[in-house]
Amino acid sequence: MASHDPEARLSHLQSADGSATFSHAGYTVVGAVNGPIEVQRRDELPEEAVVDVIVRPAAGVGGTRERHLESLLQSTLRQIILINNFPRTLIQVTLQVTVSPENEYVNAKLSQAATNLPILPTLIQTALLALLSAAIPLTATVTAAVLAIVADDGASTIIVDPTAREIQVSRSLHVFAFTSRDELLLNESEGEFTMQEWDNAFATAQRQCCPAPTSDDVDMEGGSQADLKNFTRSTLETKTASDLYWK
Amino acid sequence: MPREAEPSLNEKAFFLQALQDGHRLDGRKFEQFRQLDLQFGDQYGVADVTLGKTRVLAKVSAEVTVPYPDRPFDGIFTITTELSPMASPAFEVNRPTEQEVLLSRLLEKTVRRSNALDTESLCLIAGQKVWSIRVDLHVLSHDGNLMDASCLAVVAALRHFRKPDTSMEGETLTIYTPAEREPVPLSWLHTPLCITFSFYGDEGEMTLVDTTLLEEQLKVSSCTISLNKHGEICQVAKLGGTPVDAVSLVQCASIALQKVKELSTLLDQKLAEDSKRRNKGGLLAELSAENAR
Repeated sequence: MASHDPEARLSHLQSADGSATFSHAGYTVVGAVNGPIEVQRRDELPEEAVVDVIVRPAAGVGGTRERHLESLLQSTLRQIILINNFPRTLIQVTLQVTVSPENEYVNAKLSQAATNLPILPTLIQTALLALLSAAIPLTATVTAAVLAIVADDGASTIIVDPTAREIQVSRSLHVFAFTSRDELLLNESEGEFTMQEWDNAFATAQRQCCPAPTSDDVDMEGGSQADLKNFTRSTLETKTASDLYWK
Repeated sequence: MPREAEPSLNEKAFFLQALQDGHRLDGRKFEQFRQLDLQFGDQYGVADVTLGKTRVLAKVSAEVTVPYPDRPFDGIFTITTELSPMASPAFEVNRPTEQEVLLSRLLEKTVRRSNALDTESLCLIAGQKVWSIRVDLHVLSHDGNLMDASCLAVVAALRHFRKPDTSMEGETLTIYTPAEREPVPLSWLHTPLCITFSFYGDEGEMTLVDTTLLEEQLKVSSCTISLNKHGEICQVAKLGGTPVDAVSLVQCASIALQKVKELSTLLDQKLAEDSKRRNKGGLLAELSAENAR
């Protein structure tokens, strides 16, 4: 089983303006950002930058699944990029999925219309790191989490970062993204759930994505869940420190 | 979309003068490859090739489909190459450039038409069910010599790949999941690899291997030779450009053989390392239901 610890590498592709590889919960995504660059005449917006997101699967050509993810990402990223600073330009985000977790108990089919929500947090996080690496001005950073609600004997439990197997048996899936100012930015759900369950999931996601700003790391009740907000910060701190280091 | 920046006249003059004096910009010899690294993923059939600053990732996947009606005994084998804006902003989505078409065409000729993969072994039920093997090639970073890096990645990924095990009992075909039976490797016949030569000078008298993007942009012509380590040439492609002396082409072929031997050794070694890493405690042989032939 792939580790739950997030890992990231920044600015490792030479021709893109910014790039990042991010792996978390069994997924690995390589992201590249080019921008602000020239935009095609027909897409041009007179007062703001066009954000173009391209999601490419590891195997097979992209279909409706990828288009759906692209549209979700595009609307999310438009909220955090300062698009008004770059009128008549294009900011192009390319996300290449390289590893996605496999279910040992099922032979995967390429063309099946599988669920696409579990990969969304990794895509958002990769896009964010790539944007930061490309030094695109942002209003805030973003942290995302995926939760599965599994029902056993009437009682429903919430699993953060579920595995492929857990997703298969889950009743509903929820993806939440919060900005660094703890505002809800994205909310996607699928499956069957009650309002009460959604509220619980929301509270769990909020605890997960917006940890209280304590300096001590004692309060990790859930134990192994990664704190992505601090992860983004520390990754960039390390990167900046090594970039500014005078040899 | 922005066009790829072309080297300036100064850069060109400097580069050519350096070549005349026997130097390359990065200090390599004319027949020297850049630092080559080959890594396999945790899953079967993923190969990541890094050649200097060029990085290519190949992923193999398999599924069961219906064969083409005119070839009922052959499995389906496809190689897909798509250059994304990740490699360079000059590449557009859904609009293949000439380079991309040439790349996929050459890989097709090298790996598919040379029968490196035995497509008949992919047949499950004649005319009804065959394996469809698909290789997706992702160019993550483009700094010249995509051809050689891609070919190595595709071949490495295919040799690393394991497809689900199957069995036939009477009329019923069973495909086992990885949890039930250890997946089995593809039936692989030989290992063809590409070596690309770029020619410089008015009559193409200088030859370089493994060119960087800048060197590639300044070449007068190029030639790609695909062969295996036994010296069997699968294809030679020299698409236009300045004519090159026959003698230098023969020389290229012998350099290519030497390089392919080196690359094959590296590939075998990496595959052996990977299988050793997976085979902890030597239990993999017991898991496999495949009979030794």
